[in-house]
Amino acid sequence: MTVLLSVEDIEVRYGAIKALKGVSFEVNEGEVVALLGANGAGKTTTQKTVSGMMRPSLGQIVYDGYRIDGIPPHELITLGICHVPEGRRVFPRMTVNENLEMGAFRFKRPDAAVFEHVLELFPRLRERIKQPAGTLSGGEQQMLAIGRALMGKPRLLLLDEPSMGLAPLIVKQIFDIVRGINSEGVTVLLVEQNASQALALADRGYVLETGEIVLTGTGAELLADDRVRAAYLGEEIAS
Amino acid sequence: MSAPKRTNPRTESLKRLVSCLLASLVVALMWGPQEGSFGNFWFGITQSIFKPRVLVFLALGVVLFLVISFWPKVVPYLTRPGVGPLVSGGVTVLAAQTLMHWGDGIGDSKFGTVATAVSNTPGIAPLTKAFFGWLCWVMLAVIFVLAALAIVRGIKVLAWVAAGLSLVAAVIAYVAHHSVVTYAHLLDHSLGVYVEIIGYLVIITAAVVTALSSAEMAEGRVAVNRVLGWRPGLPLVVLGLVVGLLAFASATWFSPQNFNATMSDTHERFRGTGLAPLAVQYLIWLGWTLFAVTTLVGAAAAYLRNRVLGWVAAAGGAISVVLTLITIYDFSKLAGQLHVDSATGPWQNLGAGGWMACGAFFLIGAGGFIAATAHGSVREALARAADSDVVASGRAASTQFLSAPGAMRSGIMLAIAVALFYPPTATGFWQSVLVSEIGIYVLLAIGLNVVVGWAGLLDLGFIAFYAIGSYTTAYLVGSLPIKPPSWLHMSPLLAIPFAVAICLLAGLALGAPTLRLRGDYLAIVTLGFGEIIRIVAVNADGVTNGSRGPDTQVPHPVIHLGPIHITWGLNQLQYWYLLLVFVVIVLLAFRRLENSRIGRAWAAIREDEVAAQATGINTFQIKLLAFAIGASTSGLAGVFFASQVGFFNPDNFVLNNSILVVAYVVFGGMGSLPGAMAGAALLTWLPEFLKDQVPAADRQMWIGAVVLAMMIFRPGGLLPARRRAIELRGFDGAGSQPRAVPASEGM
Repeated sequence: MTVLLSVEDIEVRYGAIKALKGVSFEVNEGEVVALLGANGAGKTTTQKTVSGMMRPSLGQIVYDGYRIDGIPPHELITLGICHVPEGRRVFPRMTVNENLEMGAFRFKRPDAAVFEHVLELFPRLRERIKQPAGTLSGGEQQMLAIGRALMGKPRLLLLDEPSMGLAPLIVKQIFDIVRGINSEGVTVLLVEQNASQALALADRGYVLETGEIVLTGTGAELLADDRVRAAYLGEEIAS
Repeated sequence: MSAPKRTNPRTESLKRLVSCLLASLVVALMWGPQEGSFGNFWFGITQSIFKPRVLVFLALGVVLFLVISFWPKVVPYLTRPGVGPLVSGGVTVLAAQTLMHWGDGIGDSKFGTVATAVSNTPGIAPLTKAFFGWLCWVMLAVIFVLAALAIVRGIKVLAWVAAGLSLVAAVIAYVAHHSVVTYAHLLDHSLGVYVEIIGYLVIITAAVVTALSSAEMAEGRVAVNRVLGWRPGLPLVVLGLVVGLLAFASATWFSPQNFNATMSDTHERFRGTGLAPLAVQYLIWLGWTLFAVTTLVGAAAAYLRNRVLGWVAAAGGAISVVLTLITIYDFSKLAGQLHVDSATGPWQNLGAGGWMACGAFFLIGAGGFIAATAHGSVREALARAADSDVVASGRAASTQFLSAPGAMRSGIMLAIAVALFYPPTATGFWQSVLVSEIGIYVLLAIGLNVVVGWAGLLDLGFIAFYAIGSYTTAYLVGSLPIKPPSWLHMSPLLAIPFAVAICLLAGLALGAPTLRLRGDYLAIVTLGFGEIIRIVAVNADGVTNGSRGPDTQVPHPVIHLGPIHITWGLNQLQYWYLLLVFVVIVLLAFRRLENSRIGRAWAAIREDEVAAQATGINTFQIKLLAFAIGASTSGLAGVFFASQVGFFNPDNFVLNNSILVVAYVVFGGMGSLPGAMAGAALLTWLPEFLKDQVPAADRQMWIGAVVLAMMIFRPGGLLPARRRAIELRGFDGAGSQPRAVPASEGM
């Protein structure tokens, strides 16, 4: 298995505050890797750094053999790194159709086959194709955000908290779709607080705590780990 | 549901009545003398309150009370078909009968003055006397009440009656005005009667909409759109018919001193003077014939939706415009050769008639053109309408103003007709307002719309680029203390590319360091930049000649291209058409830009910058581009300004002007090209218009009132952009309720 993305000892600061204190992890080609952690652990910061929206003060990020830290997002996207930002962030006044077209902005014109494929993945979007995205429900907006990222033909898809604020049934649907996307060969780096769902999907996972990686293992291992269960699944562990 | 604390409705309304009456007393006091005398401090109050006049104010208070009390009952009727046109038509007629001029040469020529003069004139026709005395008000009241009843009760017969009465009223107004003018031998260019006729036409529209509306058109906009879109192009042809009839039958074609010649008079005037045969034939029969034929063909094309006839009407209209222009050129040139009223060349002493005829032919031709090309789009629109039943949000489009097939293009054609053929008929004062206020600020607003409206960057120093453009021109033509090298010395029009390029660079230079800032911070920095440029212009004495401005006049533009020689001088009309060319070029370019990749990127950045970044937009570069494009448009305006006025100084580029341009764009509707243009035109026109109407001290107050009313009733601006409209109305307001989703899916 080849390493697609390797993050090596990165440190990220917001002014004087260190958000990441030397985080290292790897994502192999074709994997789903989950980053877990509580609020403020540094998950989103890590992902923003990978997608180029933030710049590490130390350490490096290597993608497909190239060093990519410090490259702005609009150039990273041409390498196939597509980012679904936290909180969905669809363009509310644009229609679903226009949102999807924006996802393919890096191409001269959207790929019709990919467009069709996205609408097959999310039939709900086809029904609402002419509706302003702001009128969609939370789950539909999340679908649209993922669909928009897919329009950029990702090799590495960065998903930031796709389950945020959604009903459990919808979360399950979204994760099923992510699994489907992964099975088509797209590598996924997933940031989640919903540990049970994320680990059920992920090949491997990393647990972040206050800017450091404290635990790592395969999805099943982490799901079985007492500390993870106590911290993220809210289960009382008799010890 | 928790009900608010219940109050006794009777005490509520009593309180309301008392406060309304008190408010009316306060207004009565404000209206009266404001100061007491030394001996009697009650003077002001006794003067204001203890007079019968106070009863009027108290009555107004009661009316206000009634309106407030019954407002909830009125609201459901406001979306009925026809309410909008009825109210605007009524207000137009009222404005015509209070503010407008009705007979130039009679006192201040306002309606009231003319009415007094008519009532003091014994020999005038009784109908005229009645009209100016009481009939005009009674007609308006009766028609308004009838139409309102028809709308409220849904009585169609009443609507038709109101429409018929409106037509009669319009005719009576015309006849009365005409008899005053002929009786007193006035040289009349007043517009009151025409505005009154337009007002009544709008009321007729309201009545027809009411009469034709059905249950499915419960909303006013839908019904108006249906009526306007019934036969694409027909409204323009009808309008052309009205304008043409006025032009050929009664308007002045030739007006040397003390002489108003209609078309037939003009023919008499030039009989036997060797007028070119084409012009003679035109004045005798050709004009009428062309008018009749094109109108018939245009109407038939629109009614039958026939493409071929539509093209024939369009071609006929175009040819007729040319023939009309040739005719008025011929006879005005002849008049110049004969030195009629010290005329020196062609195009002098012309009345409005010829231009109105041109406008009428243009409108008819445009109607034919729309009828010819709207064929496909009608089907598309129907398909869209069918679609909108499936996708609820589609309704947002169909209920939008002017969304009927061809209606938007009819509006554009009407605007073109006015822009082409109105200015020659305007007085010198209005021509100069058109050029140096309206036209230039329209161009600036189009440029700022890119920055503020499309990219969403608040730029409060926009006028600085205008200054840079003006000073660049002054430098290149050699009007500044520092002279350009001789090989760079050029005429103003050639300076355009240089000025535009320099403004572009200035935009990049300002944008590159500041565009990392957002919102308020950017506004402050740009504001500072604007002031820096102005202060540099004031203080860099050796370069800009300081606060005196360029020391020698910036020459007027000239074009010497092979056989074409055009020299601009002091005639404002020439500048108007030059400006029109600029505006059209910029508009065409920007329209393409709006729908391009860059335009979409701007929209994305405005909506959500993070998401825009995530979809791969180079946000910094795209914002910088908006800044530079806006700046270069402003530079173009600067070139025009410098060469038109000749002398200018740094006071032309004060902060106030920057803020005004922002206000124009916001007022018109951010992000909408027609909106920005309309906003700039209206808000630059209004102060000039109010000059004659209200005391100078009150002018700003009225403008403020208009802006306030706008922000309350149309917060999206005059002609809001589609996206902005959604933003301000909310998604539900657009009628786009997402369809019910089965509970089990829970999305």
